[in-house]
Amino acid sequence: MVGRRSLIGFGIAGGLTAPWLRTAAEEAGAGVTDDEIVLGTSAAFSGPSRGLGIELYRGAMAYFESVNEQGGVLGRRIVLKLYDDGYQPDPCVNNTMTLMLNDRVFLLFGYVGTPTVTRVLPMLKKFQDQGMYLFFPFTGAQPQREPPYGDFAFNLRASYRQETAGLVDNFVATGRRRIAVFYQADAYGRSGWAGVRAALLKHGESIAGEATYRRGEKFTGTMRRQVDILKGARPDAVICIGAYAACAAFARDAVDLGLPVPIANLSFVGSENLLKLLSDGQGDSRRYTDALVNSQVVPSYEDVSIPAVKEYRALMQRYNPEPPAEVVQESYTPFAHSFVSLEGFLNAKLMVEVLRRLGERPTRSGLEDAVFTVRNFDLGVGEQVSFGPERRQGLQRVYYTVVQNGRFVTLHDWQAKFAKQATAEVS
Amino acid sequence: MKVQKLFQKTLFGVFSLFGLIGLSTSVLNVYTVDTHLSDEYVSNSRDIAKTIADSSVDIMLNRDLAALQSLIDQFVEIQGIKYIYIRNEDGEFLAHTFVPGIPTEILESDPSSTDTVERSLPGMGDFVEVGSPILAGVAGAVHVGMDTGLIALKIQRAIGRQIYLIAIVFVAGVLGAIWFVNLAAKPMGDLLAYATAMARDESAEDEKDVLGRDDEVGQLARLMVYFARGDKAAGIIDGRS
Repeated sequence: MVGRRSLIGFGIAGGLTAPWLRTAAEEAGAGVTDDEIVLGTSAAFSGPSRGLGIELYRGAMAYFESVNEQGGVLGRRIVLKLYDDGYQPDPCVNNTMTLMLNDRVFLLFGYVGTPTVTRVLPMLKKFQDQGMYLFFPFTGAQPQREPPYGDFAFNLRASYRQETAGLVDNFVATGRRRIAVFYQADAYGRSGWAGVRAALLKHGESIAGEATYRRGEKFTGTMRRQVDILKGARPDAVICIGAYAACAAFARDAVDLGLPVPIANLSFVGSENLLKLLSDGQGDSRRYTDALVNSQVVPSYEDVSIPAVKEYRALMQRYNPEPPAEVVQESYTPFAHSFVSLEGFLNAKLMVEVLRRLGERPTRSGLEDAVFTVRNFDLGVGEQVSFGPERRQGLQRVYYTVVQNGRFVTLHDWQAKFAKQATAEVS
Repeated sequence: MKVQKLFQKTLFGVFSLFGLIGLSTSVLNVYTVDTHLSDEYVSNSRDIAKTIADSSVDIMLNRDLAALQSLIDQFVEIQGIKYIYIRNEDGEFLAHTFVPGIPTEILESDPSSTDTVERSLPGMGDFVEVGSPILAGVAGAVHVGMDTGLIALKIQRAIGRQIYLIAIVFVAGVLGAIWFVNLAAKPMGDLLAYATAMARDESAEDEKDVLGRDDEVGQLARLMVYFARGDKAAGIIDGRS
């Protein structure tokens, strides 16, 4: 029997030694336990843009599940805490509050959309004493790339400025200088609009015409008024800055109302979903898809000569992840492969690398330094990834794709496809 | 409810007075509410435009236009505000909330003007537009459009509530007036019934009630008894019975 004095002795000894006996997880703090690292996500899992959130999640989870199956990151499984914001700013803000204050996740990962992310950024600044960071949001907008909020986010993908500049430069090179913009009436649309405007300015041009739509428009809606407005501007090409449902509706109505010009979309559009809408029940879908040219921030998932693509395809086939039923309430048929899920996959791959570099005792305070150690890192896409205090975006390259045989393939020759002289108008 | 002929004119006068008060109060209220609410909405719009203008400077000079759009998107959620647009010093539209496009009337408007104007935009409705200069106008201006339809609806509701209240007061006043007039007329009716019964040489049921009153009606009743019967019983005339 242990005497009273002995118990007190043990107590004192325990109290003195307790700091040395604390686990790594206790030192690491919020969102980290001995066997888990919890990341928080708010994305569109409902509404007309749910395909973006679901596909991005699927790609990320394919990699995370693979890592978890092999024992996780230094013994810790990666867990994604998910919330649906329907691509609406207010729910996204509420979800972020919940993730930060209630769920106490380690970091925010894989958010979807500009109007949502731009509203979350001030929260990160407000709670900067907690050292919360947003990793690899699915948006190419500028607010999370520049002051005053750039220090609270890390981006992997190229920016909308880079995408729109590439599209404008290529259109101008093919003789198409009158460029109109069809865009979502919010921060995302404005970001793309500003990119097109700046790119045209370098060529001594301005936006030929513009038309807008409200976020959340469905494919069943009409874009005839927008097409009429842009027809009045007599554009040589139209750049769309929107989500797939609205952009597909615009492409359909543009063809139906006789606006035979190339129609470009940014990577955010969700190319496979766009193509699916234009192909399903549309008769000869080629008349709607021949004029499309979509910029992408990841290479084609068809190109298996790229190591990351090969790995992505293998893991997607093996795990085929689906988001939890409690988050996804509406029906959705996922794609085996897509540009969005490939981007999610690459986001996850780099995220795991950063977490590995954090070491045995991951803390938020060590996150930024860990990211900055990523220099010339080979993600497997043929482009080295580097981060630093002045470089908070990993990839810079933009790819261009057109529809061929019912799928998006890489466009190699802009002149042959879109030169104004060669093809008086796309028909 | 039967009203004594003697008091019908009085009642008519009371009705007329109530009606006049009600009508004049309503007209004054309509004018006051309309003026004040309209002024308040325009004033609020001007404040919002100024707030956006002040906030825009930093964004326009240092940040991406997406941040500017995000800013005006939050303000356009306020009830009554239907559109916001920001033009730079060259008249270029840097951010706006129009769908599907910027109306022709606004495209053709004077970019330097920040005057309050009334606009009727086809397919959109009627608006009061206020402006506020950015950096004293050298960086452009913010314009906020308030839906006059909504303002009119708010005014109608406010006026409706006031008129509803006045109508209730009017009806209650009229009913009260009728009740009071009848209350005053009842002794006269009793006296008339008593006098009629006396003329017919019948005994009135409420004889004692009428004769026992200590007011003018009671005195009149006792005088009638005096004249009719020559009854000089002490106190009859002066009510000392």
